[in-house]
Amino acid sequence: MNDVPAGPATEPSPWPSRLLAVYPPAWRARYGEEVDLLVKDLSEHGHAAIPMAIDLLCGAAAAWLFDRRIDMSERSREALIRVLWSWVAFATVATWFGHDLGIYPTAPAAHELASAHPVVPDAYHVLLAAGVFGVAATAVAALVYALDAGRNAARAGRWRTFALMAVPVLIGAAWIAGTRLLHGNGPETSGKLTFAVAWLLLGIAGIAISTQAVVTVIRSSEFSESTWRIGGAAAAAVTAAMAVATLATLTWGIAVRTSLTHPGDATGWLVVSAIMAVTTGRAVLAMVGTHRHAPETPAVA
Amino acid sequence: MDFTEPVVLVLTSLADGPKHGYALAKDIEWFAGTKLGPGTLYGALSRLEGRGWIEALPAEDRRRPYRITAAGAEALARHLQAAQRVAATGLARLELRPTS
Repeated sequence: MNDVPAGPATEPSPWPSRLLAVYPPAWRARYGEEVDLLVKDLSEHGHAAIPMAIDLLCGAAAAWLFDRRIDMSERSREALIRVLWSWVAFATVATWFGHDLGIYPTAPAAHELASAHPVVPDAYHVLLAAGVFGVAATAVAALVYALDAGRNAARAGRWRTFALMAVPVLIGAAWIAGTRLLHGNGPETSGKLTFAVAWLLLGIAGIAISTQAVVTVIRSSEFSESTWRIGGAAAAAVTAAMAVATLATLTWGIAVRTSLTHPGDATGWLVVSAIMAVTTGRAVLAMVGTHRHAPETPAVA
Repeated sequence: MDFTEPVVLVLTSLADGPKHGYALAKDIEWFAGTKLGPGTLYGALSRLEGRGWIEALPAEDRRRPYRITAAGAEALARHLQAAQRVAATGLARLELRPTS
């Protein structure tokens, strides 16, 4: 079966073997001895040391990258889904709060706040910037995942995947079309207001249904390593945006409470801040858990 | 998993039975004319083992042989069949190409 070269295994290792020190510890613990033996075997059979050394250095770089890839692959599927749900809940609440911030505070209140706390950023614009950043990262990842899932689904004839991917698009289009109709017809009436609230609740249900459809696609599809890497980067970007937006909202709220003569009811700000903090915390924990999962050393007999 | 050249070479080498690192390097050099360095070879082995397409056997004289799993054999067969179709198409088209 195996052509084992002669020569005692206890001879000192050739110098390229020392480069094993730059491999990830877990990788070295699993494969180090075998690679060391292979370097010895190849050296005994006339392989030049310098090309082997260069190959080992390239292998070390790939091993570090592969470690990260494993962290951001199948193992992180659930973490990615947790970040997605947290982000959706966060974005829904932040959009509503941001919309209100666009109206409040009034110009005099904003002036009073700016004089009392000149270093406190305008929460509305921080939320807007963080939101745009998070949505852009989500859009890039969604496109990459959709293309990969679509390609694999077409190859395997899994048409259900296409149906699930169409859910967010159809719900989004229907909701936007309905909103336009709602705003475009005649004067405001109480009946119309009730319908608007019901429509808003339907929109929230639509967001939940769309997210669940995306989660089902993520759970049931195969994705390439590069797709998982992009997903990991997008999840990290979104989590960072959530953290910045939460911090900005908390800082802004505290500044309002401590500087305005009549800051108004704090309930809305407190509830929004709590939801933002909890969803951000969940996303951070999911990301930290992903990085803590060192690749398991494969069991060998 | 991406089918890089070392991955295909290692799976192909293991298709006719288990081999350890040096035997793999020699076999690949014999059938493909490619000298895989230790970093490249073990990079491919670790990825394949992580994917479950090969498995390690008990070490013999400190050298650990690897064998292809059923999933690995199936993946290799699928890849080679696709490559064969591409090769056949390419060769046929080259034959049809008008000579200048």
